[in-house]
Amino acid sequence: MPVETKPVALSNETEKNSCIAALHARAGLSGPVIAALGLFSLVVPLLPGEFPTIVGVEILILSLFAGSFNLIYGYMGQMSFGQGAFFGLGAYATALLCRWYQAGSTDIGYMQFFLALLLAIPVSALGALVVGFFLVRLTGIYFSILSMAFGELLFYIVFSWYSFTGGDDGIQGIYPPALLRDPHYYYYFTLAIVAVATFLLWRISRSPFGYTLRMLRDNQRRTAFVGVNIRWAMLLNFVLAGTFAGVAGALWGPFQRSVSPTLLGWMQSGSPVFMTLIGGADFFAGPFVGALIYTVLNAYVTRFTVFWPLTIGTIILIIVLFFPGGILSIIDGRLSRNRGSRDS
Amino acid sequence: MPSDLSSFLIQLFSGLSRAMMLFLVASGLSLIFGVMNILNFAHASLWLLGGYVTFSLYQAFSIGFGQHGFLLIPAILLGTVCMFGIGWLIERVLIRRTYAYELPEQLLLTFAMILIIGDLIKLIWGVQNRRIFLPIEPIEAFGGFINPYLFIVIGCGFGIAAALWFFLHRTRYGKIVRAAVHSREMVSALGIRIPAIYAGVYAMGVAIAAFSAGVFLPIMPIGLGLDMDLIVQCFAVVVIGGFGSILGTFVASLIVGILYSFSVLIWPGGALAIIFLILVTVLIIRPWGLFGTEMRF
Amino acid sequence: MRKRILQVTGLDKSFGGLHATRNLNFELFEGDLNAIIGPNGAGKSTFFNLLTGYHRPDSGTVLFDGVDITNRPPHQITRIGISRAFQVSNIFPKMTVFENVRSAVQAQMGMAFNVFGNAAKIGNDRTAHLLSLCGLGEKSPNIAGALSQGDKKKLELTLALAGNPKLLLLDEPTAGMSLKETRETMGLVDRLNEKHNITILFTEHDLSVVFNHARNITLLHHGEIIIQGAPDQVRSNETAQNIYFGEHY
Repeated sequence: MPVETKPVALSNETEKNSCIAALHARAGLSGPVIAALGLFSLVVPLLPGEFPTIVGVEILILSLFAGSFNLIYGYMGQMSFGQGAFFGLGAYATALLCRWYQAGSTDIGYMQFFLALLLAIPVSALGALVVGFFLVRLTGIYFSILSMAFGELLFYIVFSWYSFTGGDDGIQGIYPPALLRDPHYYYYFTLAIVAVATFLLWRISRSPFGYTLRMLRDNQRRTAFVGVNIRWAMLLNFVLAGTFAGVAGALWGPFQRSVSPTLLGWMQSGSPVFMTLIGGADFFAGPFVGALIYTVLNAYVTRFTVFWPLTIGTIILIIVLFFPGGILSIIDGRLSRNRGSRDS
Repeated sequence: MPSDLSSFLIQLFSGLSRAMMLFLVASGLSLIFGVMNILNFAHASLWLLGGYVTFSLYQAFSIGFGQHGFLLIPAILLGTVCMFGIGWLIERVLIRRTYAYELPEQLLLTFAMILIIGDLIKLIWGVQNRRIFLPIEPIEAFGGFINPYLFIVIGCGFGIAAALWFFLHRTRYGKIVRAAVHSREMVSALGIRIPAIYAGVYAMGVAIAAFSAGVFLPIMPIGLGLDMDLIVQCFAVVVIGGFGSILGTFVASLIVGILYSFSVLIWPGGALAIIFLILVTVLIIRPWGLFGTEMRF
Repeated sequence: MRKRILQVTGLDKSFGGLHATRNLNFELFEGDLNAIIGPNGAGKSTFFNLLTGYHRPDSGTVLFDGVDITNRPPHQITRIGISRAFQVSNIFPKMTVFENVRSAVQAQMGMAFNVFGNAAKIGNDRTAHLLSLCGLGEKSPNIAGALSQGDKKKLELTLALAGNPKLLLLDEPTAGMSLKETRETMGLVDRLNEKHNITILFTEHDLSVVFNHARNITLLHHGEIIIQGAPDQVRSNETAQNIYFGEHY
């Protein structure tokens, strides 16, 4: 096994601070900052041009996606490289039902559209249940490998099942109902759903189950010996995370007007990992801040160059090597570089 | 019309050659993990890079000395040496810094390298596939036609496997590497500086992968995205065989490679599913693999 | 007649042909404070692992409080009433001491899967009580991973107590502790047994601790019980002296 990283002994002063911080499971952002961000999110569509609104919708959807991933990584301590599969399952479930309702036209009723979105929940949950059934027997490196392999398998199924999923071409021409075709309205619609989902994630993170996850992250054996069925706990969490990812995916298709197998691919699975890392996995707000930075950067960089993977890869490399706690831990200063006192 | 036997044999040889490539890439992956506990997600990306480097060297030689198939040999050898150097550098500059990290952060480093290497290839070589055409006629054998180059590939595979075995079991350096897989503390206790062998093992793993990419250039075009297909299959091989076990990697490569090649006959597209089934079964029943030793985590 | 709380019959376990325990028969009565001793590799830890479901026995049965718990998984056995403190402390290093215990208390309350409650408001009183009982009250806000060795062992014991056990298994509870800490901890063990009526079985290297606190001692060697009896009996037994004390003195 690799060298065990010993928590650095803290000086008295910082010890006190960090302890208080850990006692009140940290959000990563102070109240005023959250309020300011919330207000800003309300006025984004009022900015000139459609571009900010479009990027805004993407940020909202992807931050929910990243937040779902962090249930598995930041809280439960396992690295999943297959979270894109559930994002994709949700996206396809919604897209297929939309297409069925549209029946060749571009029209769809509001109720039908909402039903199509709702369908993503059972589909992604079921997918996560099946994958999770195998996955939760493993931890560490084996968990990562199998999650990646399952992601690739689901990708290939969607990719090659031409008659049902459209294969490589994906599904084109998915439309939300009339009003929501305007990106500004779609923005507020997405904001409402993501806000509710984020609130639920926040509640989960502070619930007794949230602490069960932290126990699993810190010490699986001890968790079993305080009386927790660790497989069931991991499975429940995996299904929860998969479902939230599925909801995020459901919102993606109608906004982009299409879905394709790449939504389940490894790059898609990598993006929440990157976002969470950029923001800081130790904080509830980490994946959300990371999604914001990642998406804005993506929108900006891809205007100038096609070499986005090179750019983001280099950024990740720098963060891993020099700022392993992410942006929020730099802001948090007093705790940065001290893995021993990550948000608990 | 080839007989059943001949199509069987031809599939067998194609499966064997595929198994050899899997083995050459996966053995490096397995050694690197066994020795330093780093899961090198970028291994197949470095394999791909090795293929492109060899391709360019071959082209350069062809321009310098005229078109000749045998120029592939120096191209492969030089390409392997180049990739050894690149591997060495990567370990020294990047990987080395992460040994004290927790597992997820280590995984991220090599995961990020996939993106960087993939894009660098795109930047340098563009998006079209590359392959080398050798003037080799298929020969008639077993009642069908078969590319004799396949035998060279299979021979190279067995050759490297044997050389690797010899290196690990008969040379001092190899014995240290094996001991390090078994127990790092023990090797340190013997007064051997562990970090000194890390760069060597990493570079060797990369070099073997690059070698296999070069050898395959005449029968398999390389292109962007191939690395992701390969890395997943290599993970399957390494997990099935057991991390750190070269014998296990060899056996698992044969199983996966040959199954892959035959399932193409019976159920095209089912290959991945079958490999996957084996992978899941092994992971659930024996997570440490067929030939690995049990580790409690 | 006191109630028999644990009855082990014919417990066998071997690892690759090596017998870790061989045909073990063992029993505990309610209110016991007993010890298991034996040289390294005698099978003490394996015995605990078998009792708590961490390993499955090859044959034999374990009855706890009249219930057959052979082959049950650890979490079920914990919930039934056997808690365990490990030799090498097994805590949640990135959480605070308070959160460590509170999470264990919530698990004991059957709330481990409660998704929408507020963890900060559940089980605080019991957590604070347990922490002060074990002398960790002042360390509540500290990060568990940064505690001293002795405090980690205390936290380990507190986590085991959070399970509200009827039977407490302690694997070398004072290993790595200073003399003062050892005295405190064993004092606590005595109190838990007498005041809180918890049946306790512990292993220990330090024989003076064993002879001062255990009422009944079992000597294991090569997975077999050599002798069982009151401290004086064991101390004066010749076989025991040869096997055990011969290696240590």
